[in-house]
Amino acid sequence: MKDSAISAHKLKKVYSTAFEKIVALKEIDIEIKKGEFVTIMGPSGAGKTTFLNLVGYLDRPTSGRLDILGCNSIELKEGRLSHIRVDKIGFVFEEFFLISSLNALENVQLPLIFAKKLKNNHNPETLLKRVGLDHRLTHFPNELSGGELQRVAVARALANNPEILLADEPTGNLDTKNAQGLFDLFRELNKEEGLTIVVATHNNRLGHSTDRIIHLKDGKIEQDERLVK
Amino acid sequence: MKFFILAYKNLKRRKSRSFLTIGGVAVAVAVLVCLLGFNAGYQEALTSDVDKMGYQVLITAKGCPYEAATRVLKGEAGLKFIDEEIYKQITSDPDIDQITPLLTQLVYDPEKKVGKGGFNSYVGIEKSYIELKPNVKFKSGEWFSSDDANEVILGYDAAKSGQKTEKIVGDRISIPGENTNLVIVGIFERTASLEDMDFFLPLKTTQRIFEAEGKLTSIGIKLKQIEKISEFEERLYPIASIQVISMSQVKGTILNLVNSAKILIMSVAFIAIFVAIIGVINTILMSVFERTQEIGIMKAIGASKLDIFKLIWIETLIICTLGGFFGSIVAIFGGSLTEILVRKVMPYAPGGKLLLITPELLLLSFLGVIIIGIISGLYPAFKAASMRPIEVIRSGE
Repeated sequence: MKDSAISAHKLKKVYSTAFEKIVALKEIDIEIKKGEFVTIMGPSGAGKTTFLNLVGYLDRPTSGRLDILGCNSIELKEGRLSHIRVDKIGFVFEEFFLISSLNALENVQLPLIFAKKLKNNHNPETLLKRVGLDHRLTHFPNELSGGELQRVAVARALANNPEILLADEPTGNLDTKNAQGLFDLFRELNKEEGLTIVVATHNNRLGHSTDRIIHLKDGKIEQDERLVK
Repeated sequence: MKFFILAYKNLKRRKSRSFLTIGGVAVAVAVLVCLLGFNAGYQEALTSDVDKMGYQVLITAKGCPYEAATRVLKGEAGLKFIDEEIYKQITSDPDIDQITPLLTQLVYDPEKKVGKGGFNSYVGIEKSYIELKPNVKFKSGEWFSSDDANEVILGYDAAKSGQKTEKIVGDRISIPGENTNLVIVGIFERTASLEDMDFFLPLKTTQRIFEAEGKLTSIGIKLKQIEKISEFEERLYPIASIQVISMSQVKGTILNLVNSAKILIMSVAFIAIFVAIIGVINTILMSVFERTQEIGIMKAIGASKLDIFKLIWIETLIICTLGGFFGSIVAIFGGSLTEILVRKVMPYAPGGKLLLITPELLLLSFLGVIIIGIISGLYPAFKAASMRPIEVIRSGE
């Protein structure tokens, strides 16, 4: 289990509303190794986002067991969770979610402020260079294109030198060219830094450029497809 | 880049809103500083006014004590007459150290205040007057040549202000409506009391001009021992037509009046502060709700509850600190404006500076507003900190 990045066992998540209970994940088992580049695919409401939120400690499972990098997340307290989140996990969202009052560089610096540590981190400028935005350091979000915004968001997700990068529909707001560019960047990071990457997407073609596709439907794993390169 | 800069940048994002909120706090602080400063200043000015009078006891004709008290300080000392016989009668009292008779008359002068018109106060005095008043000194000229000379000594401001040209010794003036010409023989130095506005004439001359022979309006007395005042008062009690007013009594009477005004004023100040607090909470809370998503993102990229709490709290503190700062500046420079206003409204305003804005007072108000900031920031900050990151992600779906 030493090389396990994400290990889910009978993971279940139920959302309760006033009228009904929605079972988003129905006791799924998933094992993702360190250094894997995995796609979660499936139609809307299949449980992709729910799974990523649970893995990213943004939400808590209803039942089951979830080990992230060897830590059982069910047992941990809120404070400890945000600590692990800031330390080990990077998040990229469909809507980029950059802070509009901060420029590109400041957005990337933000996680470092919350982490309160300066060692063992990537230099924000180097990161922006890494994602091909060294000419956009002082630009504000409203001055950047969709592709550039998502690259800033990726640089931000990498600021704390995480071990796992989670991306929820990262290409949802991007055109084909930029979407491909982003997946190329993911592939690069995966190869060169050994980063574990889990991407949720609708895009079949992009999904097939990764190592493995987990097909979800109605909160269940429909198919676990390993792609041979 | 630290939390402070992060908070500052957010406030800068909504400039007009932040500016208005800061303005609200500034107004509240300015009002508070001015009012507290006014209180301190008024008391000090009043005390100094009373001390400058030189006499501790004043005898006037019977009347409303409040009215008498105000008139005494205004220099109009009981415009009802008392008999000069009473003066002669009590002069020999063993407890009296010094005593001086006064006859004050008010005359409307249409030329006063450069044509606006106003009352001049003409005070008939004897030599004992300047002996009783330690701080009355001649700026130029000297005492009257005789007891009933047609001569006048001007208070510092009477010679200077409200006239087209400054009067000097040797000039002639006339009392409006009277036929007598008076020669200015002296001008007093500034005493920073209302007597600076007065015209001083020999007592006998005043009695003649105003057809009040044998009459006085008041008698100023300094006792050998102020503790003996009640015994002294008792001895004068049988004289039916007079009342004895001690200056400490006058001071107390006026301070009583001022104190009730003070309570009213302070409640206005506290309402201003209360409104400002609500304004601050509202502004911050609104910006918290507007930024629900942003706060969620910050949490998603590693911000702890405490981080968010700190961030929002610092924003509140910045608003309150800036408000306190600008409010203090407004109070320092706009304070004189309040003073002009207060002088118009108050029944009696002492000479000298009414508003006493000390560094301690400024510091106190400043600290106060920061404490208010700390308190009013608590709720929005707590509200923001307890937001769950997942709500953002869901709202984004």
